[in-house]
Amino acid sequence: MIEQYYPIFVMIAGGVVFGVLMGKVNEFLGPSRPTEEKSSTYESGMEPIKTARERFSIKFYMVAMLFIIFDIEVVFLYPWAVSYKQLGIQGFVTMFVFIAVLLVGYIYVWRKGALEWD
Amino acid sequence: MGRQVLENLSNFWPETVLTITVCVAIVANLIFRKNAKLISYISLAGVLTAGFLVTRQIGMSQSVFSGMAAVDPFAVFFKLLIATTSVVIILFSMYSAEVQATFKRAGEYYSLLAALTLGMFLMAGATNLLMMVLAMELTSLSSYILAGYTKEAPDSSEASLKYIIYGALSSGLMLYGISIIFGLTGATDVYGVNRALVSGQTSYIALLVASILIIAGFGYKISAVPFHFWTPDVYEGAPVTITAFLSVASKAAGFAMMIRFFFMTLTVGAPLSDGTWLALQGFEWNKILAILSVLTMTLGNLVAVWQNNLKRLLAYSSIAHAGYMLMGVVVLSDKGLAAVLIYFVVYLFMNLGAFYVVMLVANKTGSEDIDSYKGMGYRSPLIGVAMVIFFISLTGLPPTAGFIGKLFLFVALLDAKWIWLAVVGAINSVVSLYYYVRVLRNMFLRDPEGDAGLIRFSPGQVIILLVLLIPTLLFGIYYAPIVEFANASVLMFRIQ
Amino acid sequence: MELHVLGVGVLTWLTFLPIIGMVAVLVLPKNNPAAVKWTAAVATFLQLVLAAILFVMFNKSMAGINDAASMQFVERFKWIDIQSQSWFGRIQIEYFMGIDGLSGPMVLLTALISFIAVFASWNIEKALKGYMAMLLLLDTGMMGVFVSLDFFLFYVFWEVMLLPMYFLIGVWGGPRREYAAIKFFLYTLLGSVLMLLAMIALYFSVAITDPATGEKIHTFNMLAMMNPANFEPGSLLYGFGTYWRYLAYIALFIGFAIKVPIFPFHTWLPDAHVEAPTAISVILAGVLLKMGTYGLLRVSYPMFPEIATATAWYLALLAFINIVYGALCAMAQKDFKKLIAYSSISHMGIVLLGMAALNTQGMLGAVFQMFNHGTITAMLFLIVGVIYDRAHTRDLDAFGGLALTMPKYTGIMTVAFFAALGLPGLSGFISEAFAFLGAFQVDKLRIITIASTLGIVLTAAYMLWTLQRVFLGQPNEKWAKLPDINPVETFTLVPLAVIVLVLGIYPSFMLDMMTTSLNHLVDFVSRGGAAVAMIP
Repeated sequence: MIEQYYPIFVMIAGGVVFGVLMGKVNEFLGPSRPTEEKSSTYESGMEPIKTARERFSIKFYMVAMLFIIFDIEVVFLYPWAVSYKQLGIQGFVTMFVFIAVLLVGYIYVWRKGALEWD
Repeated sequence: MGRQVLENLSNFWPETVLTITVCVAIVANLIFRKNAKLISYISLAGVLTAGFLVTRQIGMSQSVFSGMAAVDPFAVFFKLLIATTSVVIILFSMYSAEVQATFKRAGEYYSLLAALTLGMFLMAGATNLLMMVLAMELTSLSSYILAGYTKEAPDSSEASLKYIIYGALSSGLMLYGISIIFGLTGATDVYGVNRALVSGQTSYIALLVASILIIAGFGYKISAVPFHFWTPDVYEGAPVTITAFLSVASKAAGFAMMIRFFFMTLTVGAPLSDGTWLALQGFEWNKILAILSVLTMTLGNLVAVWQNNLKRLLAYSSIAHAGYMLMGVVVLSDKGLAAVLIYFVVYLFMNLGAFYVVMLVANKTGSEDIDSYKGMGYRSPLIGVAMVIFFISLTGLPPTAGFIGKLFLFVALLDAKWIWLAVVGAINSVVSLYYYVRVLRNMFLRDPEGDAGLIRFSPGQVIILLVLLIPTLLFGIYYAPIVEFANASVLMFRIQ
Repeated sequence: MELHVLGVGVLTWLTFLPIIGMVAVLVLPKNNPAAVKWTAAVATFLQLVLAAILFVMFNKSMAGINDAASMQFVERFKWIDIQSQSWFGRIQIEYFMGIDGLSGPMVLLTALISFIAVFASWNIEKALKGYMAMLLLLDTGMMGVFVSLDFFLFYVFWEVMLLPMYFLIGVWGGPRREYAAIKFFLYTLLGSVLMLLAMIALYFSVAITDPATGEKIHTFNMLAMMNPANFEPGSLLYGFGTYWRYLAYIALFIGFAIKVPIFPFHTWLPDAHVEAPTAISVILAGVLLKMGTYGLLRVSYPMFPEIATATAWYLALLAFINIVYGALCAMAQKDFKKLIAYSSISHMGIVLLGMAALNTQGMLGAVFQMFNHGTITAMLFLIVGVIYDRAHTRDLDAFGGLALTMPKYTGIMTVAFFAALGLPGLSGFISEAFAFLGAFQVDKLRIITIASTLGIVLTAAYMLWTLQRVFLGQPNEKWAKLPDINPVETFTLVPLAVIVLVLGIYPSFMLDMMTTSLNHLVDFVSRGGAAVAMIP
């Protein structure tokens, strides 16, 4: 039973060893010149210490949600395309209905202006 | 395979039509942005067509999509009930000031209504636990948005948020219960679950836990105590039309699903020849429901006494009514089920009627407070008389339809010798009289304050009122048709 | 015996004439109060005429009670007939009406009191249309209760009365009308839901053979419920004197006791009476209270004879409490109307005492007292109404010497007062005497009966004391200019006074109508009661 899992243990061990090894190699080989900027959590970008409850523009959410919807569409499309021949005309019609429904959603999003950034 | 799917689809026309309605309503709104009337007519036509197609399924009894759903008299009954409610609500919406004020978003409103109807249709027929969850989620998600539809009103948003939080919690609990059932039986369709439970030795404790968790989900949908906390806030905050819809159709769909789940999985198969069902050996789940029923009606009625907002009062009254209807499930007999169905037909007319009056008055006065009803019986005798009849019917006094609903419930209870429950139910209806009459008191026994002018309504509004009022009276005097229809509709599809 | 008017049975006409009147009242224009009043008057007058015809045509030798063949003016149609699922059984509800010597006097009383109530409402100004509509609806409910022989129909009419009564007290009543109206509504509804449950239990226990198809069907037919042979073995209420039968009896009893009202369910009555407008007090005391005792006699006694017999002593005890407690309370009142209300409780106690005796005299006394109390108390309330309309107070101590200023009024009033305290020669005496005689004959009830006669003394005391305080003694300056009664008031009071006098001198008028039926009832109930003794 447990023997079957040996390759996984080997894989885990290999991964851990490799990861630690590369980090350490970098420490030894690279030149080290620390400055205050470099030691901060984020070397560039925004000031890390302030309230976490910041407001985001609703646009970010819109993009994220739309992405998920159309992403899922692709997830369905891919296996359908692969086995298109076996599914035949029925599969074609089914997918057509599926895409049509999504299309309604797309038109809605578009006409409501959710795709415009400004 | 292909033929089978097509055949299944031919039994799925009502749902298909509703899906198309959802899409068409959205697109039409984008094309005719200014024309809210058109959208309402489109959705009305869609729901009417779906309802008509359901009538073609009367007498059918079969399973579709390999045990996912059933088309049987029981489902058809609830689908008709839901379609009727939906049509009435669309008509309400055409006259609702709240809804008309947001005509720019009419497409969303009506397409969500259609989606809500679709979800409830699926709930009525679902025979697979997963299908049940999916149908319930579709219903819930649509109703969350609709509850917060008038987003300018803060209580509407509050209602929506509370609804989501409670909804998420209880569907989570229900899913957990379903997963335990699946673990115990290895099946998700109700017939498979039943076979496994009847034949095998199942852990009593595990089954009890699973049932209680699942009851949490159903209890939330039908707003039974102690899963009712969302109800008053949502009913108060949501637009009146949506509140009315939730109070009737959502409850009906919840009951349909609940009855099917309990009777199909947790009984020993088919009912006996005298129409009684036997609970699973050693697991009398109907006693849990009996406790739930008593709690629900008692708490609903007692809390309703203290309400000052009419919508909130009706919310608690609808909780109480869920308690009454649960009594019909408790007795485990076809008589009890028929009584629940009869009650729902009656409840549809009287409860929608009461909400319609609330809506008409709110249109004119902008208030839903019971105090704003002072002298309303003199300001508009029609409204006054209608409210008297609806409230008397809700109390369950003859010669109104509400009495018939109560009568058949008590008949079922006494036939099965659940006498203590019948007594509790009877005393509860006395308590309910008190708060219904409080409203009538304000309408007739008090003089109007401030503006006391007469209120007039358009012919269309009066016709809708009469459409609800006449059955409420008529079914109280001649109820043979609804009883016969309900008796014929307790038949649920079973694999022999 | 059958009578049809325009192809429709006379009892249907009697019951639904007020509804026709109500519809007519509702379509009349608002600005014509005279037309509204006269429409109501005509509707109730026609009802009274029909009732009078019924009285004349009534066959005094037919018993009725549990025998469908000797019911009179019977109308019987299928109302609801559902044949569908085998597991449901057949549901059959009939539109079944008929009268016998028990309901006949009550029908007459209802028609009479309703007619008088319309004239007693002549001064109503507030929302007159609504008032008359409600009054007529109430009339239909009352009449329906007395003529129904199907329990379901009976129950529907029983409940139909509640709503109009609520509004009549609540809208047109006195200062505390809201409280009184809701109290009345809640009390009676509590009683009737218990009655509903008992009714359903009876429905399931009784099965008759359908003559057409030969199948066994459950029924709401009251006459079928009275036959012990119809109770299905194994059903809830099968057998004699069982636990469930006691429970059902108690449920029914509470339902009826609240209406009578029997102590301790009486507290709604003083409130309702005091707050109700005069005409409604008249109806309440004249007809509604009779419904409780009528229900006991029509439903509880014949359907549960063994329990009625076994609990007779307790009923007599309650009757004693009603008589004496009611009289004592009446004596303590300062409010004229409240005094009459408590006197009603006392007088209804006499009805109960007669019923508890379970013999011919007692029963005759009870039913006759129901009729007499209906007429006498109606007069008393009208009298209070007259004085309240003029003085706007009902405080007994505020008056004095009214006999000087209002001689005609005092004359009629004296008749009513003496009838109420049971002066020989007036109708009240006959029925009270019969009731006490009947109860005295029963060994078990003798002590209670003797104790109850104390109530008669108390009644005489408070009635005469009231007479003295209001009508005799020093005239109060304040009321020196009160006008005597006007023609409308005379018209409401005189017919009642005449009936009281006539029945006092020649009671057979009414007694003959009841004798056969009540003898049959007594015989039937005591045989049913005896059946228990045979079963160990």
